[in-house]
Amino acid sequence: MKIVVCVKQVAVLGDEVEFTEDERDVDPDYLDFALNEWDTYATEEALRLVEAAGSGEVVVVSVGDEDAEDAMRRCLAMGADRGIRVEAEGWLDPIQVARALAEVVGSESPDLVFAGVQSSDSVQAATGGALAGLLDLPSVAVVTKIELADGKATVHRELEGGLVDVVEVDTPALLTIQTGINEPRYATLRAIKQAEEKEIDVRKPGELGEPSYRVRKMFVPPKGEGAEMLDGGAAEVAQRIKEIVQERLA
Amino acid sequence: MARDPKYDILFEPIQIGPKTMKNRFYQIPHCNGFGSEKPLNQAYFRAMKAEGGYAAVCTEYCSIHPESDDTHRVSARLWDDDDIKNLGLMCDMLHEHGALAAAELWYGGPHAPCMETRCVPRAPSQIPSDFEHLTYPKEMDKDDIREVQGFYVDAAKRAREAGFDIVYVYGSHSYLPQQFLTPYYNRRTDEYGGSFENRARFWRETIEQVKDAVGDDCAIAVRMSTDMFMGEAGTQLERDCLPFVELVDDMVDVWDINVSGISEWGEDATPSRFYPSGRLLPWQKAVKGVSKKPVLGVGRFTSPDLMVEAINDGALDIIATCRPSISDPWLPRKIDEGRLDDIRECIGCNICISRWEIGGPPLICTQNATAGEEYRRGWHPEKFEKAANADNDVLIVGAGPAGMECARVLGERGMRRVHLVEGQDDMGGIMRWIPQLPGLGEWARVVNYRKIQTDKLKNVEFIPNTQLDADGVKNYGAEIVIVATGGYWATDGLNGCTHDTIPGADASQPWCLTPEQIMAEGKAVPGDKVLIVDNDGYFTGVSLAEKLAEEGKQVTLMTHLGHIAPYMHFTLEAPNMHRKLHKLKVEIVTYNIPTEIAEGKVTSAHVYDEEHLTEWGVDSVVLVTQRRSNEALYRELKDSVGIDALEGEGITGFYRIGDCVAPRLVADCIFDGHRIAREIDSENPEIPLPFKRERHVIEREAVLA
Repeated sequence: MKIVVCVKQVAVLGDEVEFTEDERDVDPDYLDFALNEWDTYATEEALRLVEAAGSGEVVVVSVGDEDAEDAMRRCLAMGADRGIRVEAEGWLDPIQVARALAEVVGSESPDLVFAGVQSSDSVQAATGGALAGLLDLPSVAVVTKIELADGKATVHRELEGGLVDVVEVDTPALLTIQTGINEPRYATLRAIKQAEEKEIDVRKPGELGEPSYRVRKMFVPPKGEGAEMLDGGAAEVAQRIKEIVQERLA
Repeated sequence: MARDPKYDILFEPIQIGPKTMKNRFYQIPHCNGFGSEKPLNQAYFRAMKAEGGYAAVCTEYCSIHPESDDTHRVSARLWDDDDIKNLGLMCDMLHEHGALAAAELWYGGPHAPCMETRCVPRAPSQIPSDFEHLTYPKEMDKDDIREVQGFYVDAAKRAREAGFDIVYVYGSHSYLPQQFLTPYYNRRTDEYGGSFENRARFWRETIEQVKDAVGDDCAIAVRMSTDMFMGEAGTQLERDCLPFVELVDDMVDVWDINVSGISEWGEDATPSRFYPSGRLLPWQKAVKGVSKKPVLGVGRFTSPDLMVEAINDGALDIIATCRPSISDPWLPRKIDEGRLDDIRECIGCNICISRWEIGGPPLICTQNATAGEEYRRGWHPEKFEKAANADNDVLIVGAGPAGMECARVLGERGMRRVHLVEGQDDMGGIMRWIPQLPGLGEWARVVNYRKIQTDKLKNVEFIPNTQLDADGVKNYGAEIVIVATGGYWATDGLNGCTHDTIPGADASQPWCLTPEQIMAEGKAVPGDKVLIVDNDGYFTGVSLAEKLAEEGKQVTLMTHLGHIAPYMHFTLEAPNMHRKLHKLKVEIVTYNIPTEIAEGKVTSAHVYDEEHLTEWGVDSVVLVTQRRSNEALYRELKDSVGIDALEGEGITGFYRIGDCVAPRLVADCIFDGHRIAREIDSENPEIPLPFKRERHVIEREAVLA
């Protein structure tokens, strides 16, 4: 059983945000970086399936500069066997990321490919689907349960309104994994130290093409018409909220 | 980050007499156990608040004469030139930070037992203290009045010489000037008693004389209690206080307004159990309504929004804080810098005050382990030195108060990685259920603050839902292991009275329960009649009595002590706790210890008459007898796995902290976690480094010569 998990080091906003001078990105001074939450679940799910199979390998793949290895090492500390980083700098759109991933993921000939449903910084939920298209793999999005048998995966797909669609898909397949599918394990200090020693293979990407869109400007959304900002002390604000709720309920 | 403009008003300067405060933050007079005789501790403690942005910082009550000696309690003193030197250091250090220094000149009358000086205190009338036992004052004649007023003047001059900018003529808390104003203390029939004008005379004259003596150089502050809650006998707002404000307003530069007398001063220093922040605002606003001078006052303010509201609402000009300034001496600075989530909010437990009430020890704080340690251990609440062994990884097992604080401080000290591993799904340990007891909601701030702070520290990781066994610890991969597994309430009635278990006590039975079974595990208390055995003497037994009585149970609270919850006398929670339990019809049984507990029946013996047995028909029994350390993991690691095997896995430091060493106050658990983290790079972190003892050291030869 070989599962490739595509992971991303995401940017995490603090309480306060400033933009870069060209207004096209958040000033990195105001950002922290972490492993994308969805990818933690995807990694855990891959580890569980390989453990259940009794043998196999979990390979984490990421696109980015050397800093992205911090996120990959979290996955390696959880128990992933090795990592491959596709060297890339600067901003890429999801299609370009999928192109960067496709060659590496394909060359591993995995039984399953996992990606998080989305990344918490861009929230586009596009990379997984695009990668499935490029690899010509069947794919299921927003997966909350996986059962494997006889070259097929029976998976639960989360729909809106609490509905669940149970689908069967041939493997290899690409699944995008939803949070809550499992309870991700924590890495012990020993595992974290050992992960520092694990191999991360660095590859050059192929042709990534032009981005399909670009960021022209980032800004704090203006106050909308429907919003009323409540000023004053806590008691005044609370009183006003109470009045508003009562007005709406009346 | 920058200050939110809505708080700008808190940072506007304000004139008080000849002095200017740079902002509206004022540390009210409060005790710390240092007085004039531990001047270095005193100065460093107060200076931390000036460094944290306070514009004015006061002494505690500062005795003007040996006749006002509160021993065993510790006050400051301005009796002679040497006191000027000692308190002068505090003034100098405050001035270095641009803060004003204030001295709260104090004459206690009958409340000062003079156990060191063996003087006789003087008072308006010869009535013994309602606060101290067996202290009778001398009734003052007019010569006495002149003489004591002279003490005020002399002390005010000494205060000026020491460098104080603000001098109080302190009356609140039933001290001498307010004793004259109050019929309860003043039964005189001469021109110093009777009518308002007569009762006000002593205080008015004293203010006048102090103003004449130092008023050009120092601001004159008057601290007055505006309601003693004693009916006609006590000082009353409308009858006494507002007229007094109008009478002396011209001579006063700033009013310090509170409520209560001394015997129930928990109405002023309100425990969070009974009162929210800002509870004194109506009285403060009433004074502000008649005074042309700035008004300041306390209200256990931790929220800048409430502070702004108090000013905008016309209740206060200056925000005075006592306990919030102990909990976080950098409160003003954090508001100024827009760091609201870094504020270590006071929880209103009054453990600080308990140390003054006990008489003698330095103050402690549940939230701020560095309070009182500024000089003697050199601890700064906001600054941490990188540990010499910062390249180590640390495993802390247990995220209760000690573990959380230890993780926070080790994180601040730059340890490479700190893993705080907890069996439950969130941090807090014992402090997850204690704040669920009636009235203790604010105590959850202990957990919230540490959760926010550890979350900000990139080298600290919290790992919930993970119960480590000895193998798990051994193989975890840490160089330093700290066990903080807490404690539990004895399930067999083991107690500090008989030093034995209670026959029949067994909390595995459905009708026999421990506090955490009720609060944390949700074990149901069967039946209507509940007997709580309280040999602990602090908040747990009474809080459970309140909770169960409110749930409709018929509660009997039994203790071997002469009072229920005696420690709550020190935290000022006792009077209202007694009122509450009385209203809830909780039956209080003192001087009794169960000799046998069985389903449906408890037998108890009187502790001074063992043959006097009483039987109690009950449906369930709650054992609040004593706590025990939860040391199973520590013992297994030390005794079964062994230190050598741990060293073989690269564990070079193996320690334990908090309740799992010995059960104690939450404040002491937090201190323990903090201390070991501060000293993690010392030779043996388990043994506290010596602290600087401020004491007189003799030159033997010189004495003998």
